[in-house]
Amino acid sequence: MGIAVIGGGVAGITAALDLADSGYKVHLIEKNAELGGKMEELAECQMGLSPYIAKVENHPNINLMLSSELERLSGTAGDFKLSVSGNEVGVESVVLAPGYDIPEVAKSYGYGSPDVVVSLDFEGMLKAATVSETGELVRPSDGKRVKKLGFIKCVGSRCQENEICSTACCAYTAKEAWEVKERFPDIEIYIFYMDIRVFGKDEELVAELKDKYGVKYIRSRVPEVIPEEGALTVKFENLEKGTIEKLDLDMVVLAVGLLPSKTLSKLAEITGVKTDKYGYIETSLTSPLETSVPGILACGTATAPMKVRESVAQASGAALKAAGLSQRTEPIPGQEEHKYIEVGDELKTGVFICGCEGEIANSIDIPAVVERVSELKDVVYVNSETNTLQEAMDAIESGIVDQGLTRIVFAGQSPRECEDIVRDACAGAGLNPYLLEMVNLREQCAWVQGPKDATEAAVDMLKMAVERAKYLEEIPVERYPVIPKALVIGGGISGMNAALGIADAGYEVHLVDKGAELGGGLRESTELPGPGGEQAADVLKELVDKVTANERINVYTKVKEEKVVGRAGSFKAKIVAEGSAEDVEIEFGACVIATGARRDFVPEGYFGYGKEKNVTTVSEFVKMLAGKLDANTIALIQDVPGEGVTARYSSIEVVDSALKAKEKNPDANVFVLYQDIKTYGKWEVLYKDAREKGVIFLRYDKEKPPKYEDGIVSVYDVIFNDEIQIKPDLVVLSTPAMPAEANERLSEMFRIPLKNGFFMEKPERPKMVLTPVDTVNEGVFICGSAVYPAMIDECLAMSSAAASRACVLLAKDFLETPAMTSVVDEEICVGCGVCEAICPVEAIELTEEPVPVVTFGVTTVVGRTKKVAKVGDGCIGCGSCASYCPSSAMSLKYFRDKQVYAQLDYAV
Amino acid sequence: MSINKLAYYPGCPSDGTAVDQDMSTKAVFEKLGVELVEVEDWNCCGAAEVEDPKVVYALNARNLAIAEKEDLDIVTPCSICYYNLERSNKALKADEALCTKLKGIDSSLDYGGKIKTKHVLDVFVNDIGMDEISSKLEKKVNVKVAPYYGCYIGRPPETAFDDPDNPVLMDKLIELIGGEIVPNFNYMKTVCCGGPLMMTRGDIAFDMARKILDVAKNAGADCISLACPLCGMMLDGKQADIEKALGITIGMPVVYITQLLGLALGIEPNKLGLNKNAVDTKEILGKVV
Amino acid sequence: MPIKTWELDPNFKNEIMGEAGGERLASCFQCSTCTLGCPITEIVPSYNPRKIIQMSLLGMRKEVLSNPDLWVCLICQTCTARCPQDVRIADVLSAIRRIAEREEEAGNLKIDSPRPLFDKAFQHQLEKYGRLYDIGLAKEYYPKKEGSFIKGMKAMMKDYKDFGMRMFKKGKMGPKAMLAPKVKGRAVIKKIFKEMGEE
Repeated sequence: MGIAVIGGGVAGITAALDLADSGYKVHLIEKNAELGGKMEELAECQMGLSPYIAKVENHPNINLMLSSELERLSGTAGDFKLSVSGNEVGVESVVLAPGYDIPEVAKSYGYGSPDVVVSLDFEGMLKAATVSETGELVRPSDGKRVKKLGFIKCVGSRCQENEICSTACCAYTAKEAWEVKERFPDIEIYIFYMDIRVFGKDEELVAELKDKYGVKYIRSRVPEVIPEEGALTVKFENLEKGTIEKLDLDMVVLAVGLLPSKTLSKLAEITGVKTDKYGYIETSLTSPLETSVPGILACGTATAPMKVRESVAQASGAALKAAGLSQRTEPIPGQEEHKYIEVGDELKTGVFICGCEGEIANSIDIPAVVERVSELKDVVYVNSETNTLQEAMDAIESGIVDQGLTRIVFAGQSPRECEDIVRDACAGAGLNPYLLEMVNLREQCAWVQGPKDATEAAVDMLKMAVERAKYLEEIPVERYPVIPKALVIGGGISGMNAALGIADAGYEVHLVDKGAELGGGLRESTELPGPGGEQAADVLKELVDKVTANERINVYTKVKEEKVVGRAGSFKAKIVAEGSAEDVEIEFGACVIATGARRDFVPEGYFGYGKEKNVTTVSEFVKMLAGKLDANTIALIQDVPGEGVTARYSSIEVVDSALKAKEKNPDANVFVLYQDIKTYGKWEVLYKDAREKGVIFLRYDKEKPPKYEDGIVSVYDVIFNDEIQIKPDLVVLSTPAMPAEANERLSEMFRIPLKNGFFMEKPERPKMVLTPVDTVNEGVFICGSAVYPAMIDECLAMSSAAASRACVLLAKDFLETPAMTSVVDEEICVGCGVCEAICPVEAIELTEEPVPVVTFGVTTVVGRTKKVAKVGDGCIGCGSCASYCPSSAMSLKYFRDKQVYAQLDYAV
Repeated sequence: MSINKLAYYPGCPSDGTAVDQDMSTKAVFEKLGVELVEVEDWNCCGAAEVEDPKVVYALNARNLAIAEKEDLDIVTPCSICYYNLERSNKALKADEALCTKLKGIDSSLDYGGKIKTKHVLDVFVNDIGMDEISSKLEKKVNVKVAPYYGCYIGRPPETAFDDPDNPVLMDKLIELIGGEIVPNFNYMKTVCCGGPLMMTRGDIAFDMARKILDVAKNAGADCISLACPLCGMMLDGKQADIEKALGITIGMPVVYITQLLGLALGIEPNKLGLNKNAVDTKEILGKVV
Repeated sequence: MPIKTWELDPNFKNEIMGEAGGERLASCFQCSTCTLGCPITEIVPSYNPRKIIQMSLLGMRKEVLSNPDLWVCLICQTCTARCPQDVRIADVLSAIRRIAEREEEAGNLKIDSPRPLFDKAFQHQLEKYGRLYDIGLAKEYYPKKEGSFIKGMKAMMKDYKDFGMRMFKKGKMGPKAMLAPKVKGRAVIKKIFKEMGEE
């Protein structure tokens, strides 16, 4: 039957693609006429998301239902009946991804003045500024250049109308400020904030903004923007001087918060899923993707405000859970073996110019281009009749079949969006897909050239492409079988959850852990944060029992190291375990790294930790809270410096334990010393509860950390602007989290870069993280606190996502070997070894080869040998060896010298 | 229009400094066909000087109880009276123990929580309605107005009946009667006039009132319109004192919205007390056509 | 001098939260919304409601209650309306003022503002007449504020001579306003102050 995904934003698209790529029938239901959701409004995101949108639109397993709304839902998990804008759809499970809306802005912010904009609109202005005539960022009201720009954070969040923290705004504000500074360095930027709630890379970005770009972060919740005499006046507190200052700005950006989508309440009513008191779909700390209705999953900003990264992870995770309830019915695209026509030396070039729904035809005179391209030698066919990608593909297929074309030049939108699709079309018609040359007529021509120049430029670009196409070669495409098994490294909550996810999808899993028992870092925890009072041990026990009972999961404990070789779909590993006489050898197609984080940083010496008996850490304090609490004055100190990074749960844990201490002993004086309280999302309520129960919060500056001498904690409260002293019975230190010891070794072995010791996801252009659990090494996925130290719900969502991504790969029977790899001309190769040294993936090896000798036309091999470079399976086609090879023996298939030169020759 | 009779709570200044507001309110309601029945033997609402909420609730319970006996909702032209009446009404409706306690103090404080309390501005726009008022207009009041709302119309939230930062009810009435809202005054609409500090920190109060008058003047207003007698005392009654103390000239006419509305309804200016405003209003009268 | 928390009164916040209107004091997260929106701060730069709240939370009872800035609040409710945490700052300050007034009456404190005298005088008018009697109020307030009847009358003339004449000329301060209004039910008003008041 299939799965219904409701919402065509970034979360819905992600969930739909994971499912469709693994062979499930997907009905993607979107109320608007276009896919993309809020991301479509963000210039950068639009760029990043468009390849995914194109893929959805052309996916054989996705039934795209645009301008459609869910009207009724009946039945139960495994057998739901949906009524969608009059159409009946039967599915086994449902994924809800309706996204978010933004709150109404208070009139005091002067919203309505053209110079006061919300962040979403500001993104659009930034994009427009780049393509405007002056290239300047100007004020909408009078077109004057913006010199002073202000950002006001927490507009419509952390307030009475929207109690919780919107999580995403701190990071997106930093990103917008960075973009402004990169492009318009002269613009002064002021960011007004209460707490800077960023982690990891975003934390570094904020530091860079402050130190390198001179962006002023000012702690004041600015309540009003007064339009006065051509400027926007804001007031803020200069806490250091104890004064109120006025600042005139040219433009103000309101970093508005997130609210549940306006459609959510109706959706909840139709589907019967429970919503929480903030209007989000109710999920829990230990089951972040499941709604109150079995068979209905939720993801993204429908469950809580969050960033794109978390939304996408949840979406993949929800896809996995939905798949677990459904039957695979569809073929996996791209699995059929192709037989290609032997083209030989015959040159019959076909040129296809797609109008891209008017975006190209608007500025390029297509008939003129067609006329001039038709005159070119070897061009036997030109088609400019198509306007959509689908039409263009049909034209290409019939061109190959009917006209016998042997080279295809396709001109249209960015190859980023459509290259895979066009290659598939060629392959489908029997033409080797590497006899294709792409021309980006939209982004690189129509959008950037003036109307006069665009046509001329288009002709030139096409001529260059036709030239290059002449020299393209057929590249053999080889297939190898995928081993339908997975390796999961790390037996903590993330690793176990990933293993269960993959096993439940029907694949065998090898789960390895360095410890003697499963459970990982969570074994050190007792009561989990929040009012639920759940015990870590109970959560773990449930998972461990499930893992142990699962016949598809093989558990290996006390594993010292894993030695892995191979590539996506076909890995081999040797598992070396302590006390085990023999090493175990296993094969698998995908790997999930879930090594977690370490909490064992010892703040030795800091605050007398280790010497003073009354100085302890938060983890120890949480355990103390289970017993009797004698301390009358407690000082909790957040952000104690040390190796490692600030965990996402760091503030939550501090605030939660402070609150619990106060509940246990209401007369106790509990102080929290902090730099930023980072109780993101719904955790904000914990912070409020703590204050209301009487916990006192004192903010200190990184440069002036608190001191502990003679039993007195002294802290300079930067908001109060005075030194405050406390005589605590107990000092509790919140320490940074550290990466797992194994990360360094795994990073080298899998060639996945680390940042501060934690694994990095596959870099994307633009900087939006759309594949948070994928890595540069295809087939290897990362999740949980191995990526950054995260809360349980996030670890669970991420590990489900990693499992989902692994399953997409394991669902395939075959993978193709990469085509654009390096080849060596052994005759020319002198064995200098430059390529071996330069290769980033160590795919090149120098071998000793016999030297053939030709004597009187007879080739014989005598005893002489020479060193020759050999390109192995690991080649990723980066081209480094080809460009460094001093004797030009090395070249990259599809980018051979003669192909590139032909193109360049034409250009010059 | 659904109402034809209301209990009227004039508030203490109605006998003295705001007699013009009292006159114009009565005249306008009469013209609009709504009978006002003064709350018999009403007492002070507590103003801003009685700071203990419990005392405020008790003081207003008596007034509410009197109106309740007549089975009439209360309307008042004073923003502070409105705030005290409304918050007391809310507290009394929600707190049974409080009602019982008050009943124990005196039977005249026995209020059953059956009536509503309203500000005149709210009644005009939301109860009587723009259409009804429009149908009774006789003249066009062709003046540029700085509509000043003061404190208790848009805040605090639980008693507010208009936007806290940019209230519009008075604007709507002014536009309806042919007036023009001056630009660049919006951000002063709800900034306090300083009235509550008049007697204890006159210097601060003068400074605050002056700012409002200045902004209205710079915005090119012919007059400021008001809906509260304390604002009236500060901006109109004290304007000459402010000019003297600060050595400046302002000369900004200040009128109650009921006076402007009365002019448009064709009521004779003296009946609206327009001869009683401290700053001369003749120029405004000249613009009524 | 550093603030030594162990010398402060941690119960002060509970004392305020026990007063009507003071209940939501502890929700404050020190965001500055109240201070930045306050119309008084431009005129009295030392006035900072945010800081008064943090001092209260820390237990700086003496410093808070004797702070003269407590008495410049207009109760205009801008802070209350905008506060993201619903602290109801205007009501909290009112609660603090009432504690200060009680402390002064008990002889523990000297308030550096005439405002309690004015509020008291105002309330006395209500107790006596049931409504505000302007002249009665001025006659009671000015001498108390100035310390003697003569000085008080002089100050009153200075403040109100011009204003009174203006009102008289315009017919606003007619003979009716000279006489005290007498609400028939004034005995009840007296009872209200006695029974409901904090004294």
